[in-house]
Amino acid sequence: MLRMKNIRKIYRTELVETHALEDFSLNVDAGEFVAIMGPSGSGKTTFLNVAGLLDVFDGGVYELDDKDVSRLSDREMSHIRNQKIGFIFQSFNLIPDLDLFDNVDVPLRYRGLPAGERKTRIEKAAEMVGLSSRLHHLPSQMSGGQQQRVAIARVLAADPKLILADEPTGNLDSLMAREIMDLLDEINQRGTTIVMVTHSPECAARASREIHLFDGRVIDVDRPPALFGGALKSAK
Amino acid sequence: MLLYNVRIALKSLRRNPVLTAVIIGGIALGICASTTFTTVRHMFARDPLPGKSDKLFYVRMDNWDPHTPYPAQQGNSAATIPPQISYRDAMALMRSNLPLRQSAAFGAMMTVYPDPRVARPSSEAVRLCFSDFFTMFDVPFAYGGPWDHRADAKGEQVVVLDDAMNQKLFGGANSVGKRVRIEDRVFTVVGVLKPWRPFIRLYDLNGNFVAEPEPVYVPFSLTPAMKIRTSGNSDGWKSAGNTFEDFLNSDVDWVQFWVELRSPADAAQYHRFVDGYVLEEKKHGRFERPLANRVTSLYDLMNEFGVITPQVTAMAAISVLFLAICALNLTGLLLGKFLARAPEVSVRRALGATRIDVFLQHITECELVGLAGGIIGMLLSIGAMRLIGKLITATSVIALDGEMILAALFLSLGAGLLAGLYPAWRICSVQPAVQLKI
Repeated sequence: MLRMKNIRKIYRTELVETHALEDFSLNVDAGEFVAIMGPSGSGKTTFLNVAGLLDVFDGGVYELDDKDVSRLSDREMSHIRNQKIGFIFQSFNLIPDLDLFDNVDVPLRYRGLPAGERKTRIEKAAEMVGLSSRLHHLPSQMSGGQQQRVAIARVLAADPKLILADEPTGNLDSLMAREIMDLLDEINQRGTTIVMVTHSPECAARASREIHLFDGRVIDVDRPPALFGGALKSAK
Repeated sequence: MLLYNVRIALKSLRRNPVLTAVIIGGIALGICASTTFTTVRHMFARDPLPGKSDKLFYVRMDNWDPHTPYPAQQGNSAATIPPQISYRDAMALMRSNLPLRQSAAFGAMMTVYPDPRVARPSSEAVRLCFSDFFTMFDVPFAYGGPWDHRADAKGEQVVVLDDAMNQKLFGGANSVGKRVRIEDRVFTVVGVLKPWRPFIRLYDLNGNFVAEPEPVYVPFSLTPAMKIRTSGNSDGWKSAGNTFEDFLNSDVDWVQFWVELRSPADAAQYHRFVDGYVLEEKKHGRFERPLANRVTSLYDLMNEFGVITPQVTAMAAISVLFLAICALNLTGLLLGKFLARAPEVSVRRALGATRIDVFLQHITECELVGLAGGIIGMLLSIGAMRLIGKLITATSVIALDGEMILAALFLSLGAGLLAGLYPAWRICSVQPAVQLKI
């Protein structure tokens, strides 16, 4: 589903070059639920930006769903984001002026689906996240957990092949977090690939695989290192 | 997608009503100024008599002092011959059968005596003309019609009243056949005009061309019998004699002369006829200056007499520039508003919006603001035009027509685009990865 080989991403300023990803290689198969872990500055965010085609990279090859997406135009990248990738953000990132219905509608609008089909998808997605009765509530009228469920409904309605989730439970209490993780599990059970960045070992434990990053590289793809010292050794 | 963009734009505009009002107000101000001044120019530049402006011709001859040319009018260096002709030359030209229609004419002030039970006598503006005058200038009649050629020939005491005068004298009823005293004679009403307010007094560009048409019309041929003198300009370079008869036979220029000709070929032929007349008169010691007759179409005459002054054109251009400045000033406000929305735009980009989608969404918002400003600006300009109209003349003829409404809408959209182009480009260039904490 997702194949990255020797990806390099450098942030340049006048004074310094920061190698956010260096020789970064990763394969995620279709249907996997992968947790990405690592300390701050390890390259998790950069990885997700590159994986989500929200940022360009400086070297290497990235194949998404068997298509080389290394050098695409803005229109082509937007099309792939719209058709194949779903995002779940830590801070929900709902549009405050739009109610649940319209927020879930956003990716469907850019896909150019007819009104009838959009309505069916939105209502079905709202039902799956248990918010059918709140279709016309604004984000400000909902709790954090409900807002994250709206964000998940937005992904469900778009039905992408790959979901990129960044700390989806980071802003939620433990009960809400468990509900969200249950939802992600359910989505994954239906065959959608999920790549989730998390700091939470509990959340990571729900994934089928954990990948640990350090200094812009993948250091362990099977199990978490006991210590970063060990991690550094294995990286070398 | 357009309707979706409109809906999103309306939500955005409602989010900050004060800022929205300021932006709309800025565009409304610019549209008000530009619409007002471009409409004033448009009103004076349009064809005053569609289909006829190139068939009606104004005749001039240079009977001025052989040693000094007729003084040029201020701002009109081309007018180096008298703007009117003498009575004797007008009467001579009237004998031609070349034109389809023709009329000598001038304005005078005469006392009209209504029924004493209705109103007191009043001095009224009267136009003395031939019967063809009404047909030539498409003067609309409510009752009756122009007098006939026989009345012209015999100098019959017949009169045509305008709508307001008929209202004053006869309460607005069909007064054809009724009588009214003008000066010391009794006239029979043969026609009553419908309300008629051409935007310029096209048949008399020599005087105050934005004035209203005269309320009373009588045959030109009554001039000698009633010894009627013009209330307009009389231009002469030598003595006009002592008696009224001397005045009529003098070289004083005070009569306007119009002909209706079918084609440019007819106009050329008529010009030759006028030249022939002048050459003949030269043999009798008149017209000592070089041959300089003019047979000018109504439309060309409007330009020559400065109906559209360069100042009016300049004001229109400056007002459009003012609109552009208003729009450019709003760019900063829109830029701030749009950039504050970068996180939302980044979410949309992550969900599949292309740069063009984002650009169009924001340009739609700018155009909505432009349209709203345009509509308010047009309403303001209607008030401004009434004010300007009142300053120029008693009854305003300056008003928005369909063409100017379309132009104002076009300017509104242009202003919205101008104001929003750079902010929309900036917001669509935002890198989503920078704004999104993913």
